[in-house]
Amino acid sequence: MVQYGGDEVSALVVDIGSSSLRAGYAGDDTPKSIIPTTYGYHRAEGDEAMDVEGGDATQAPKRVKMYIGQNGPSMWRAGMETANPMVDGLIDDFAAIPPLIEHALVDVMRCTPSEHPILVTEPPWNTPANRERMAEIMFEEFQVPAFYIANTGVLNAFAAGKGTALVIDVGKSMASVTPVVDGFVLRKGLSYSPLPKLVQAHARHILVTPTPMRRGIELLPHQLIANKTPVDLNAPPRFTLREERLAGTTESWRQWAEAREVDEWIQSVAGVLEQGWNDQLAAQRPPKPYEFPTGYNTYFGGERLSVGEQFFYHPQALVASNPNLPKHLPALISDTLRSCDAELRQVLSSNVVVTGGGTLFAGFVDRLSAELTRSFPHAKIHAPGNPIERRYGGWLGGSILASLGTFHQLWISKEEWQEHGKAIVGQRCK
Amino acid sequence: MASGVGVNDMCLNEYQALKLKKAHKYIIFSLNKELTEIVVEKTSSSQSYDDFIADLPETECRWAVYDFEFEKEEGGKRNKIIFVSWSPDGAKIKQKMLFASSKDALRRALVGVAVEIQGTDYSEVAYESVLDKASRGH
Repeated sequence: MVQYGGDEVSALVVDIGSSSLRAGYAGDDTPKSIIPTTYGYHRAEGDEAMDVEGGDATQAPKRVKMYIGQNGPSMWRAGMETANPMVDGLIDDFAAIPPLIEHALVDVMRCTPSEHPILVTEPPWNTPANRERMAEIMFEEFQVPAFYIANTGVLNAFAAGKGTALVIDVGKSMASVTPVVDGFVLRKGLSYSPLPKLVQAHARHILVTPTPMRRGIELLPHQLIANKTPVDLNAPPRFTLREERLAGTTESWRQWAEAREVDEWIQSVAGVLEQGWNDQLAAQRPPKPYEFPTGYNTYFGGERLSVGEQFFYHPQALVASNPNLPKHLPALISDTLRSCDAELRQVLSSNVVVTGGGTLFAGFVDRLSAELTRSFPHAKIHAPGNPIERRYGGWLGGSILASLGTFHQLWISKEEWQEHGKAIVGQRCK
Repeated sequence: MASGVGVNDMCLNEYQALKLKKAHKYIIFSLNKELTEIVVEKTSSSQSYDDFIADLPETECRWAVYDFEFEKEEGGKRNKIIFVSWSPDGAKIKQKMLFASSKDALRRALVGVAVEIQGTDYSEVAYESVLDKASRGH
């Protein structure tokens, strides 16, 4: 049995995504600490040759100075590289995880992890080895009194009030469709792809490619710009670069900063047509103005709507030329539903839960609804109107669950961990 | 995954009374104030389906079982016990989470339920949609 009383100290909830790490107290309705998962780092001196790709960096975490949090990657530092421990929504570089969690819990929240039970979330496609590693980090490095790992698919379904639901989650790097039945993920029906990356690549392509109307846009981040003078619409930008910084700017930081500029643009300007692509309709939509950090500003017309199209439709030519193209949402949804029997298909399609920051894309839910009702006239979509609930649905579900007095029966206590070891994780956290 | 919420013995007693003795037409279940246990909120023998619907609050979650009686197309009466998870869109997220993660405990205790319905608005629990589900395949 668990030793501590479940409601005496509040539990902590940690939800790690590709774009941000969310942490906070169970029972709260928003995470107290939201930090970027990407971090900056300096290689230690005399270690120039160290290969930082993939797992090699994990061999020497102590030799590396990390810059984490709000003043982490976004602050320019000479020679600073950036890295992200996540690959396809799963933790790949575990060496970076303890410092990230420690920053969120200790530096931002000012709490002592060894005094609180911790609930961590995991994506539906997480591996057993991965979740056991997370348990190990929590018990051995953070000395937590109790631990639980909960599936974001189930948490999102529950937070929408549904035990059975089709959870469509679009994040920073992955889009997934998860069938949840009576509180459990039906693993054979799970579909996912790195679709959001394709959307980003498409947006970037639009921006940097010159058109007859405008020059290719320089995606320079504000950190590299000393000053700029306002210019007229479509006029060449007038700005001065911080020349002294150019030499010390690493390729990985530059890529990260440029991707951020693209994201900013997507969030303010991009969209999708509600009823499928139509040149005329796209041309009728009002163009939107956008100003880049260089001062260059212009209007974006129909092309801004072609960005969202990537979520839902890929032209034949594109599919033929790229066999590794990530599957679009209608394909993921039909893969999932095809693997379920007819009766369940009906129930799932009338209980669709939409979650994840990527679904806040302008016009996304309306378009999804149009695509779904084409095959399932009774489809019903549940999409929280509150952007916080949508963005942090998994965290919020975990927060409510971990705050329940009755949930203490499910926690894995430190004593149980010491007695049973890794096997207990798979037994308890189903 | 489940919330760990328990089921009060009265839930099963009243359910047996509905199922075996036909003592009730429907039962409404809810959670106790401490949110530790599922309890019977109301039993009723009203024959009006509208009364049942009226007992599902607009912005709060409930569970219910209903002894649903209907005519088969080829004639002859049938009874089926339906289980409703009532989680209206207007309910607070905490309550939705709590009810969704506790449902299994109650549902497993009730043997003999023929049809299960997840209701988020009144159209999904309307007589016609329940009839449609209840008469399917029989």
